Amino acid sequence: MILTTFLLGSTILTDMLLEAIRLAAGYDLAMARPIWTGTISFALLSVPVKLFTATRSKDISFNQLEKSTGKRIKQKRVSSETGEEVGSENIVKGYELSKDRYVIIEPEELDALAPTDAANEKTVQILDFIDGDQIDPIYYEKGYYIAPDKGGARPYSLLVQGMKATNKVAIAKMVMRQKEYIVAIRPKGDYLCMETMMFHDELVDTAEIDELANVTTELNEKELDMAKMLIETSASDFEPTKYRDEYRDKVLALIEAKAAGEVYELPKENKPAQVVDLMAALEASLAAAKAKKAS
Amino acid sequence: MATAGPGTSVNIEGRALSLSNLDKNLYPETAGGFTKGQVIDYYVRIAPLMLPHLAGRACTMVRFPDGVNNKSFFAKNLPSHAPEWFDRVVRNDVSYGVINELAGLVWAGNMAAIELHIPMHREADGPGGDPVHSAYPDRVVFDLDPGPGTDIVQCAQVAQLIRELITPLGFTMTAKTSGSKGLQLYAIAPTPMEYGDVGGTNSFAKRVAEGLEAAHASLVVSRMTKELRPGKVLIDWSQNVPGKTTVAVYSLRAKTDPTVSTPVTWAEIDAAADGAPLRFTAADVLERVASYGDLFGPPWAAAE
Repeated sequence: MILTTFLLGSTILTDMLLEAIRLAAGYDLAMARPIWTGTISFALLSVPVKLFTATRSKDISFNQLEKSTGKRIKQKRVSSETGEEVGSENIVKGYELSKDRYVIIEPEELDALAPTDAANEKTVQILDFIDGDQIDPIYYEKGYYIAPDKGGARPYSLLVQGMKATNKVAIAKMVMRQKEYIVAIRPKGDYLCMETMMFHDELVDTAEIDELANVTTELNEKELDMAKMLIETSASDFEPTKYRDEYRDKVLALIEAKAAGEVYELPKENKPAQVVDLMAALEASLAAAKAKKAS
Repeated sequence: MATAGPGTSVNIEGRALSLSNLDKNLYPETAGGFTKGQVIDYYVRIAPLMLPHLAGRACTMVRFPDGVNNKSFFAKNLPSHAPEWFDRVVRNDVSYGVINELAGLVWAGNMAAIELHIPMHREADGPGGDPVHSAYPDRVVFDLDPGPGTDIVQCAQVAQLIRELITPLGFTMTAKTSGSKGLQLYAIAPTPMEYGDVGGTNSFAKRVAEGLEAAHASLVVSRMTKELRPGKVLIDWSQNVPGKTTVAVYSLRAKTDPTVSTPVTWAEIDAAADGAPLRFTAADVLERVASYGDLFGPPWAAAE
């Protein structure tokens, strides 16, 4: 419950309000917002928490424009049979069994199977505690920070400090945006962080990669010593800030330079003509609906 | 010790504000009451999502200084005692407040401005600038108002009809509860539209209402005439003019309970058309946004 303040007496409320305003005074509209709220549950322990994404991609995205006019490119979904556009109401999901053989799956059928937050009561359920170094990093998908929600401070600390003292990592399952996840939760400093993980059957079996078979060549001691020496002379500590996406930096510089001079501005629409078109389109739709009803 | 007496001073993003009568119960009929402090508390919490929608729009504040059961003031003119930093825009000799920042929202809350209403356009040259309002609304609104004997169920059914009719024309649509009894549909045209009676948003919305009235006479009415309304949903198309406002998304309403004009999904509207309830209070909304974020988000929040 976020707004316990709503139920409290006005004295406490006023303090909470002032606290909220103080917090809000530092509000930045871009401030991180939780993407999920729920409860971590383990045995008798239940920890109300909020999840925040720990990473954000900085990939640069481009729009597609028609070269001659500068107008945006629109994608249409067309029938492979007639080449004509197909409306969304006429598009269904088909699963390809074998070439050109499909079973049609209705959205309702999928909905009935989909994991829902409600069914799992918005719970991160801890299944096991394990030694963290047993997890091959290849399983990790995406990182999140876990913050305590209202009333969660104490059980949250129990979990953080307990896991630190035992040097364990929790493996848990949860549902987020209608998808089931296996996650690893570990203490990081004073707080918890979480990585969503690939399911085991999502990993590519190395046996499928011929090039990985027989990669070991026998070395003599001298060769190995040389390899070790080469590596050790370059050994240092991991400093993540040292590495930058230099290609992105260059693309951004290019965009900035071009924006100073050569901006490709979208030509303004001819408004009156377009407005008439919308009215005409509406009249046509109304007439079509009427004709359909009459028939 | 709480300091709820007159003149509780707060500093919000460098703006000094004095808040008063925070303990005053503005919703006497709701269980446990809902004080002015709670109104401000709600607005502070919803501010990160709500402000982008209010920004740049002349705001009409509906004030209930003695609670929702007592006299209200439809305040278009920002009072002269409003803080100097408050953004304003002058139109037709009326100096409207423009809520562009958190402090403005808190100030309004302190004025017991429970309801905030905004027009369908942003000011062309920003607050305090050119008094001529933008000729271009950035949305068309359909206010679905249930007549006697109908409720949110019929409103949701009419929302479906409007969606079926105009989505194929290229309109992007979203919906919110009015926070009272009805629903409000917002549609962004595929190309900019003007206000106006010839080919503008108002005449477009009117034709939608009339067309659906002709096709679904037992469910839809397009005229406000009282006698026509029992058993039907009024598609109020008339708010698509520069001088008219509609309750802002996330605004509280001055009803029995502190209900909110809440963005909803089409799945929720489809469920409501089959009878599911669609009513949210301030507490519900804060929980919803924690899970869903801003359902009224871009392009709905996008500035000009």
